[in-house]
Amino acid sequence: MAEQILDQVRDVVEGQIDFEGQKLAELIANVALSVVGAIAFLVGYLLQDIKLAVWIALGGTALTFVAVVPPWPFYNNNPVAWLQVGGRSQHTTASLVVDEKAVR
Amino acid sequence: MYSSLVRIQNTFGFFTTVAFVIAALIAASDFITPRAPSVGMLKTTNLQVVRGRPHYYSSKKEEYAIIKFSLDADLSSLFTWNTKQVFVYVTAEWPSTSTTGVTIASNATANQAVIWDAIITSPSADHLSNLGPAALKKLRKSAAGKAIDPSRGKLSLKNQRPKYQITHPSGKIAEMADVTLRLHYNVQPWVGVLTWNQGVDYGLWKQLSGGLSRKFTLPGLKKKEEAKKTS
Repeated sequence: MAEQILDQVRDVVEGQIDFEGQKLAELIANVALSVVGAIAFLVGYLLQDIKLAVWIALGGTALTFVAVVPPWPFYNNNPVAWLQVGGRSQHTTASLVVDEKAVR
Repeated sequence: MYSSLVRIQNTFGFFTTVAFVIAALIAASDFITPRAPSVGMLKTTNLQVVRGRPHYYSSKKEEYAIIKFSLDADLSSLFTWNTKQVFVYVTAEWPSTSTTGVTIASNATANQAVIWDAIITSPSADHLSNLGPAALKKLRKSAAGKAIDPSRGKLSLKNQRPKYQITHPSGKIAEMADVTLRLHYNVQPWVGVLTWNQGVDYGLWKQLSGGLSRKFTLPGLKKKEEAKKTS
């Protein structure tokens, strides 16, 4: 029971996502940070307010972290279909093949 | 981007890049902002030379010039979103003289001493100013709701007492001729390079117009009785 809980905690902390999710997460992080930076600079320059620019940039970065870091479900929409353990379908009898003869 | 830790590292890494680029853009935005500081009037109103000691226990007596002045200056164009504070100072300058009293032509401003200075903060930097709570509250109120306040760059001083009484390493300054006052400024930005008043135009940054007083001669030493009366 304790082991199961520890496994769950470890999964949440590690936050693994699938390959498509990794691609998506990287795209979201780069685009969001760039857009936030551009908005912060433009708003700050147009309103001549450097404090506002800093807060927009920091706030936007915090939002980006929230969007990217946790393993949200949409990052796990394309799980990898691994082969089954032991490969029951192909090798039922011979476990080792040497010189195309089955070794028993 | 496999695990949370890797995503934190990658996102933070790109954040630092973005922050650096924005800082560079902010610093560069200074160069497309015109600057046209001007000094309407800078003149002395009262000149005095007294004898005094550099410190309480000194046995050496030196001559100190007390130069009161009036100043009208418009430095409001120096206050942009990237301005943290502007340091304004007034110097007295006089040429070097040889022992025979002949002016050495090559060092027209061989001597330069600050007689007055001030720090003008931008509203974004009011929390950094070296003021008491009451004065700080007043300063904040004066710019309430404003991100920048160029009106702080408008200086108007009438018969201003100098902050510093100046002397010369030789200890002699009475009857010094060809002394001028000059206004200087130093813009300290949030990001970017420090800039001082320049002698030539750089693009949109015009040189300080005016800022130099007429030449004057310091008076002789005050008589002892007079000096006592004033102090």
